[in-house]
Amino acid sequence: MTDHNQSPVPSHVLAVNGLTKDYPGVRAVDNVSFSIQSGTVHCLVGENGAGKSTLVKMLTGALQPTSGSMSVNGSQYLPGNPQDARDGGIATLFQELHVVDELTVLENLTLGMERSRFGFLIKSKLEDRVVQTLYAIEPSINPSARVSTLSVAQKQIVEIARAASSGASVIIMDEPTAALSEREVERLFAVIRRLRDSAVTVVYISHKLEEIFQLGDAVTVLRDGKHIATKQLSDVAGRSELIEMMIGRSVFQDYSPRTNISDEKVLRAEGLTNSVLRDVSFHINRGEIVGFYGLVGAGKTEIARALFGADKVAGSIEFKGRPVGRSPKQAIAAGIALVPEERRTQGLFTNLSIRENIPVMNLRRLSNNGVFRASVEHDAAVDYVNRLNIATESIDKHTEKLSGGNQQKVVFAKCLFADADLLLLDEPTRGVDVGAKTEIYDIIRNLADDGNSVAIFSSELEEVLGICDRIFLLYSGSLEAEVINGTNVDAPHILNVVTGGHVGGVQ
Amino acid sequence: MTVSANIGRTLSDDRRKMSDESFITLLVASVAVGLFLFASLLVPNFFQLLNMLNLVTNNWAVISLGIGVSFLLVSGNFDLSVGGIVALSGVLSVWFAQAIGGSNALSTGLGLPYWLAITCALGGALAIGALNALFVVKFRIPSIIVTLGTMMLARGVAQVVTQGSQRNTNLPDQFGVLGNMTMFDTSVKLPVVFMLVLLLIAIFIERKTVFGRLTYWIGANPIAASLSGIDKERHITYLYLFSSLIAGIVGILLASEFKSGYSNRGTLMEFDALVIALLGGVAIAGGFGSVVGMFFGAIILAIVTSAATGMVLSPDWQFILKAIAVFLAIVTQTWALARRNR
Amino acid sequence: MAQSTNISQASVSAGNQVAQFLKNYYIYFVLVGVIVVLSVANLDRYDLFERGNFLYDKNIINVLRISAPLLTLAGAFTLLMVSGYIDLSVGSAMSLSAVIYAMLAINGVPFLPAFALTVLAGVGMGLINGFLVVRLKITPVIATLITLSLYKGVALLLVQDGVSAIKSGGGLKMPVWFNSYGREAVWLGLPMAFWIAVAVTIALVVAQNRSLLGKYAAATGGNPTAAKLSGINTSKVVIWLYVLVGVSAALAGIARSSFMSLGDPLSGDGMELSAILVVLIGGTAFSGGEGRVLRSFIGALIIMALTIGMLTLVPAYYQTLVIGSALLAAAASNHLVSRKETTS
Repeated sequence: MTDHNQSPVPSHVLAVNGLTKDYPGVRAVDNVSFSIQSGTVHCLVGENGAGKSTLVKMLTGALQPTSGSMSVNGSQYLPGNPQDARDGGIATLFQELHVVDELTVLENLTLGMERSRFGFLIKSKLEDRVVQTLYAIEPSINPSARVSTLSVAQKQIVEIARAASSGASVIIMDEPTAALSEREVERLFAVIRRLRDSAVTVVYISHKLEEIFQLGDAVTVLRDGKHIATKQLSDVAGRSELIEMMIGRSVFQDYSPRTNISDEKVLRAEGLTNSVLRDVSFHINRGEIVGFYGLVGAGKTEIARALFGADKVAGSIEFKGRPVGRSPKQAIAAGIALVPEERRTQGLFTNLSIRENIPVMNLRRLSNNGVFRASVEHDAAVDYVNRLNIATESIDKHTEKLSGGNQQKVVFAKCLFADADLLLLDEPTRGVDVGAKTEIYDIIRNLADDGNSVAIFSSELEEVLGICDRIFLLYSGSLEAEVINGTNVDAPHILNVVTGGHVGGVQ
Repeated sequence: MTVSANIGRTLSDDRRKMSDESFITLLVASVAVGLFLFASLLVPNFFQLLNMLNLVTNNWAVISLGIGVSFLLVSGNFDLSVGGIVALSGVLSVWFAQAIGGSNALSTGLGLPYWLAITCALGGALAIGALNALFVVKFRIPSIIVTLGTMMLARGVAQVVTQGSQRNTNLPDQFGVLGNMTMFDTSVKLPVVFMLVLLLIAIFIERKTVFGRLTYWIGANPIAASLSGIDKERHITYLYLFSSLIAGIVGILLASEFKSGYSNRGTLMEFDALVIALLGGVAIAGGFGSVVGMFFGAIILAIVTSAATGMVLSPDWQFILKAIAVFLAIVTQTWALARRNR
Repeated sequence: MAQSTNISQASVSAGNQVAQFLKNYYIYFVLVGVIVVLSVANLDRYDLFERGNFLYDKNIINVLRISAPLLTLAGAFTLLMVSGYIDLSVGSAMSLSAVIYAMLAINGVPFLPAFALTVLAGVGMGLINGFLVVRLKITPVIATLITLSLYKGVALLLVQDGVSAIKSGGGLKMPVWFNSYGREAVWLGLPMAFWIAVAVTIALVVAQNRSLLGKYAAATGGNPTAAKLSGINTSKVVIWLYVLVGVSAALAGIARSSFMSLGDPLSGDGMELSAILVVLIGGTAFSGGEGRVLRSFIGALIIMALTIGMLTLVPAYYQTLVIGSALLAAAASNHLVSRKETTS
């Protein structure tokens, strides 16, 4: 499947040996060893939480490994920060773009590498070289254009060209196609192939498996922080083998079918469409836990925000037979509450105490003709701290000092205090330790058993399979399939759908 | 999860712990007391009850303005327009109340009844507040630039109305009453009582009402506030309107006290209102601070400047002292909070 | 959200070219418009203008002479705002420089040393601002409000009690050269102060286009994370920019005191507002990254022509109102332009 000329003796440009990273209570990366051949596209795959991003952070110097070693071109490599990584020949294309919109393409390409005399820029071979590099990988970009006039895809290519011309021998790309259209993806792939042919090694991280088969030479699979396999892709027998390696034996015994789900459709959404979503329709029953499962960028957060009135969307949403409002305020009044994706920036008031955080979504219960009922606030705080088992010595503790799991419980407490009938939970257990995770799942089940409805938006298969009664599978903004959870659920099929298996992938 | 076993008991034990805000307020209050004692050592006859009272009564205008400014700062917004509004509403109240047919342009007004004149003047003040809200909330322009602009706009209108000087003739007799009326058979004047009442209302709103709490939530995290169903646009609009209303009343009282509408009245008051809020521990990043702290900040500023006005140093020192005081306040408060929460 | 990615290349550049052209050149049309309006208007009512003609050479010279301080300040202030920072102390820094310069001159220090020492004071004031912002991490608005008060206080202290400004009298006399720097024609009827302003602007235009500092200022304001990841020391960039603004404020103070023949500790009051106004009119974004030195220079010419020309149409006490309204209008139009760009 690869038709470029490889050097006769494959040399290893990057090798990791026994790499381990421990967080308090969690081993995110567990004794991982593999090596990457020079001049190849090496893919890194694994479920969310498999340890990919931790591994990448260690490669780019953002994190220091607990133990183990890395080497680049045979010599020891231990970057202390991103700058070290760049000096060591490893450049990274992050999901957020690191180009300066206000400068030209050429100015961006030379940023930080300029030659100068007395502080003034002087012409050097650098300009010619970076322009040549850019031309070689994408001739259609004008070096004197302002970056603000470029598309996201073109900006990415500018970043890639900068990495290539800075002499990087390895470029790590973290989900580079998440925000690109199909045509742009094609163009990016052409760029990556040209890079490879010019002896640059690309470490390619993506959840979209068909991309990996289109592009990759070799693949490394991680699962639960452990290294599962490193193989030439020509030796991999299709998506199914890759998916099997990613999820291993099914371990989803958590789920037990719940009986008290009513037939009453509490929420109906018809034809939701916006810049991300494409004609999404579904309903949620009273007392039901539904899951929305898909990759990053598939539209999970957009659905949650649309239901909550936080984003504009075309289509209709009915809650308890009435159209929902156009603002979070109206949604909350109607009985919908959201646990947002980013709890620190969107969910919590981190410099306020637990006590002050909890009542924010239900001012009516708190107010006695506008006067704050401190006793209600205090009692609610004590009540939820005990009920949700929030580990703190005081309800006056600032929420920024709580652990991730306890912070998330405070956000839950906010929503519970709002007396919501429908809870929208966007990545409810992201960055939460295992113990708190189990507790959060118990809270969710109890809520549903009490007749509330819950929608979970998650990119963790284990999570949706463990707790949801019904699962909607999303791929690139559309609702591809609906799965009733149960003992005979076909996990590989689900993974196949959300990684693009329905839309002409390699099967 | 062993903590949870005895959580009920530890929780109630810990309720007595002081909040960061009370801690900073106490810090500011002790600095104020310390400075007062220090000034008493340096300045003969400084240590007198009358002197202490004067520190408050002489600064009723700035403290009143500081209330609106502090609330806005807590919500994460500046208001530098209050000084301009003081000039505007004062000048307008005079112009509206002046009788028709004076000897020249500056002694001829609109001849409105006094109550109508001050109502209309307050309308002018509120218009500036509405403009602030429009630019900050709707256009999302940084509040510092907006309120610098409206400060000039308000003062500019005042200068046009007074032709760059002042209006003080042809006024009805009752015009001077509000600003000079003494209360409760003492020498305390109405404006001081106004300030004290305002202060009590503000403390009540800040501590005891949902409105006060909303201000903290919005300042602490505007995104989370919106996603929690708070209408922050409306709340910030209210805050700008209240701040401009207070400034409008202050302007009318000052105009009444001096029986004149002077276009340069209130110059640098916006700056002083900001200074006392910062001295009092109100954080520029939003979500932190208290009106009581601002009040003690005003005392500190009053001691520092009254020491400068002729007692120890020349009056020219006041700008330097203000700069040093704000600098020290910010540095020490940041340091003290970091140390406390370590 | 990221802007939509599937707009075709052609339509992007076609729409953008018109927008870009307007953005780059509208300021010149505004300048021409202001001059035309002022020339047509009846200007002979005030003795500032002769023969009722705004374009009469003496009037132009007069406007340009008075404009020297703001013209000097506009460039450096633009670069600072491009980097995403602000300096509210420029007016006070200008006053303090004016006082220092006048004190040196009146006490017999010759022109060049007096000039150099004042500029050095400007460097010091810039360094203090940079230190507060970068090292002590005080919000730029607050940090420079503190120094606004500080520099103003020092300027007031330097002037003796009971005197409003440093000027001839009491046995001391300003040297002759003091006034000529700001008034006496050296070339094309314009004084040294104006040509220094032009020189500073040319230097900063070159710096913006051709120097590391100009490029790094844009990078710091446009995308600080990217700038740091590229190995740029953004703290150093910001301190340099504050020093540049300090130096420009010192030059502006020298120009102002020389024009007025005195060292007035209040002469720079409100200058920070004019500087913000000028930079906004020149199209600099609040958020940083965007903005050109030359456009701010033109913006300063517009504002000065307007304020001085206005004196011929309406009484002087309209000035604050007009500047305040102009500031709000400039801010609102900047907002509208930038919103159009992000939604397209």
